[in-house]
Amino acid sequence: MKKVITKTLIAGAISAAMLAGAAQAAVTLVSWGGGYSASQQKAYIDTYSSGEVNMISYNGGLGEVRAQVESGNVLWDIVDVLPSQARTGCDEGLFEELDRSLFLPAPDGTPMDEDLLVDVPNDCVVPQIWWSYVPFHLGSTFKGEQPSTINDFFDLEKFPGKRGIHTWGNGIVEMALYASGVAIPDIYDVLDTQEGQDMVFAKLDTIKDDVVFWSSGAKPLDLVNSGEVSMSLAYNGRIGGAVLADGADYVTVWDGQVLEEEWLVLVTGAPNRAAAIHFLIHASATEQQAGQARWINYAPMRPSALPIMEAGEPWFNPGLATEANIMEHMPTTDEHMKGGILADPDWWADNGQAVNDRYAAWMAK
Amino acid sequence: MSNTSTINSQGPLLTNDGVPLKESLRKSLRRTKIRSFLLILVPLLFVLLLFVTPIAQLLSRSVDDIKINEAFPLTFAQYEVWEDKSILPSEEMFAAVINDIRITHKIENSEGRNIGKNLLGRSGTRMTYEYSGWRSLLLKTVKEAIKVDKKSKEEIKPYKWDAPYKERMIKRDKRWGKVEFWQSLGAMKDPYTMGYYLNAVDLRYDANKNIIQKVEYLRVYKTIWMRTLQVSLMVTIFCLILAYPVSYLLATLPMRISNILMICVLMPFWTSLLVRIVAWMIMLQQHGVINDTLVTILPCFEGMVNLPFFGATNIDLCFGDEDRIPMMYNFTGTIIVMTQILLPFMILPIYSVMRGIPPSYMKAAQNLGATPTWAFIRVYMPQSVPGIGAGCILVFIVAIGYYITPELVGGKDGLMIGNFVAREMQQTLNWGLAAAMGTMLLFAVLALYWVYDKFIGIDNLKMG
Repeated sequence: MKKVITKTLIAGAISAAMLAGAAQAAVTLVSWGGGYSASQQKAYIDTYSSGEVNMISYNGGLGEVRAQVESGNVLWDIVDVLPSQARTGCDEGLFEELDRSLFLPAPDGTPMDEDLLVDVPNDCVVPQIWWSYVPFHLGSTFKGEQPSTINDFFDLEKFPGKRGIHTWGNGIVEMALYASGVAIPDIYDVLDTQEGQDMVFAKLDTIKDDVVFWSSGAKPLDLVNSGEVSMSLAYNGRIGGAVLADGADYVTVWDGQVLEEEWLVLVTGAPNRAAAIHFLIHASATEQQAGQARWINYAPMRPSALPIMEAGEPWFNPGLATEANIMEHMPTTDEHMKGGILADPDWWADNGQAVNDRYAAWMAK
Repeated sequence: MSNTSTINSQGPLLTNDGVPLKESLRKSLRRTKIRSFLLILVPLLFVLLLFVTPIAQLLSRSVDDIKINEAFPLTFAQYEVWEDKSILPSEEMFAAVINDIRITHKIENSEGRNIGKNLLGRSGTRMTYEYSGWRSLLLKTVKEAIKVDKKSKEEIKPYKWDAPYKERMIKRDKRWGKVEFWQSLGAMKDPYTMGYYLNAVDLRYDANKNIIQKVEYLRVYKTIWMRTLQVSLMVTIFCLILAYPVSYLLATLPMRISNILMICVLMPFWTSLLVRIVAWMIMLQQHGVINDTLVTILPCFEGMVNLPFFGATNIDLCFGDEDRIPMMYNFTGTIIVMTQILLPFMILPIYSVMRGIPPSYMKAAQNLGATPTWAFIRVYMPQSVPGIGAGCILVFIVAIGYYITPELVGGKDGLMIGNFVAREMQQTLNWGLAAAMGTMLLFAVLALYWVYDKFIGIDNLKMG
């Protein structure tokens, strides 16, 4: 009897050790969940044959990363981060600076760091996508004239009903200033002044009584569907995904969209560092960048991916009933960029605390 | 008797082996003490490790400004001798900043890895909490002032970042000429600071470390603290009003029926928090079950009704689409949902105390001439106070730190301090401020406990 127990124990210990070994080999990729994570799963992980990658979701912010790095007990390898966090995290040493020569150049030989719409902010980041904050509404909500500019979002008389906006200032601040008549190239210069910021909150005051706040990406769709609000801001991919894949009757107003960068980073002291870097090289290659746009209408950060997508149309959901052309749904098309504001993450890293405090005070008022 | 000790009227009591009884007793008592201490050792370590240490860390983080003082010692030393803080500081202070940057960026940890760069990066984040723009100003300066010669690998001093510093720095970036940046250093100059606590109640330090109010449009936390107290109090009161009759029913009905009722109380208690919150969203939202029902069943007469006799004119009797009551994503929503979620925490302690009140007391009171109401108020209610106290304290303490419910249903005016702690932890990474708010919450709860003990007595508390 004793022997049997010993044997069982040994076998158990061995299989546990094997499991632990297997778990150690799998790279952990932390992303935002929903259709976005699904697109990363299909475009990066399903096409990756050199190892296992597990995906988990988080709700943004660097709280967990800093806690893991400070305690020396790092569990995450790769994190999908917002632009201002890509900067502060790299400043603080929460992310590892990567050898840029490892990454694959574009098909025409352009190095990765030059194959971007913006200057690469530091050596920690690996390109992901462009996404944007956009206003949207149901096609059936308004009779007659339809909202077409950012002014319409702030015009409660012409387009009655409540407005859904998020609980932090990024995006909405720029939109409010643009709707107050400031030209797009001047937005951050004006925001640097006290009067500029007062202008923002004066504009926001005009809709204050008719605002419903959301804090998670799926919420604005609920708010609009249930009629709680007539128009809402949302992440463009959430709307595009619902329209393209599920035939939802949403209309996106591209004027005044605020475009944000999205980066992948490697956490300092990542448990599977080497495997993670290997995967990052795969995920940031032009081909995978184009591949992600097969499943969601976020724009690849590397312009070299665009010709591949164009040539492959209908690129979205290939072979499925919902197959569609994707290029016209990208936030970065020439037409959508006419009223598009490129967010300035450095400005936000500098002023985010103060502006968001003021925004919170405005919310609580 | 004679087997265990020898009775001697002159000397001390002795045991069989001749040791004084006192000594022997002490020995055996000590053994028992050690044994019992060993028994509690594991839970004690557990509490120390998982409870006391994190709280101590939290406390220390809320006053900790050591890192920035490690990075800028020369600058802060110069700050002490800067006399008129309304004009730009002297050349020495400008030089101190650059020297600090040059020294700090070379700091290595015990393993020889450079941590100075990250220390400067973190200082930038810290300084931005005091004045917007510090981060990019500092990082730009670090980037430009530290150059390494490509061939010799030796550090060189770019002449643009050399003496005279004041003139050249302002030329490189005009923000160095803004006195507000320099003034904001005052709040960070000591390794231990009360600044985070001040921030948490809408105050701040000025250049001379006097405490002043923040500008009007940045005052947010006082409102949130008051709202947190208000929500917690209201939820506690509503829970009490709802829980008392239910508990009374549970305690007095025959076992068979009260068991079924008890399941009705416990079922939601066992259901996931998120499920219950989402269910409330479906009920309460603008186009939710309740509003839709009201719009459908309430009569809608055309025109207005005048009731001049009651002084009311132009009453709109119609409950149409535009009259839908906003019950979700606001203060009301937070109160309703939290009351429902916390109700069992009130019912269970009150119920268990009520179960212990003998029904004969009420009968005796009525036999002695009291009306049922009077008997209930004078005899029954005072005996249920320990349960009420326990329920109220429990609900209030749980409510004051609530986070997920306000986050989901709070909307514009239903957010509580827990949401702001989360924001500072996750989004802005201002852990000092989050720790200060957490500590204040902790002390609010301790204060409540003290008040309760003072007025009602903690030994009166009965959880069941």
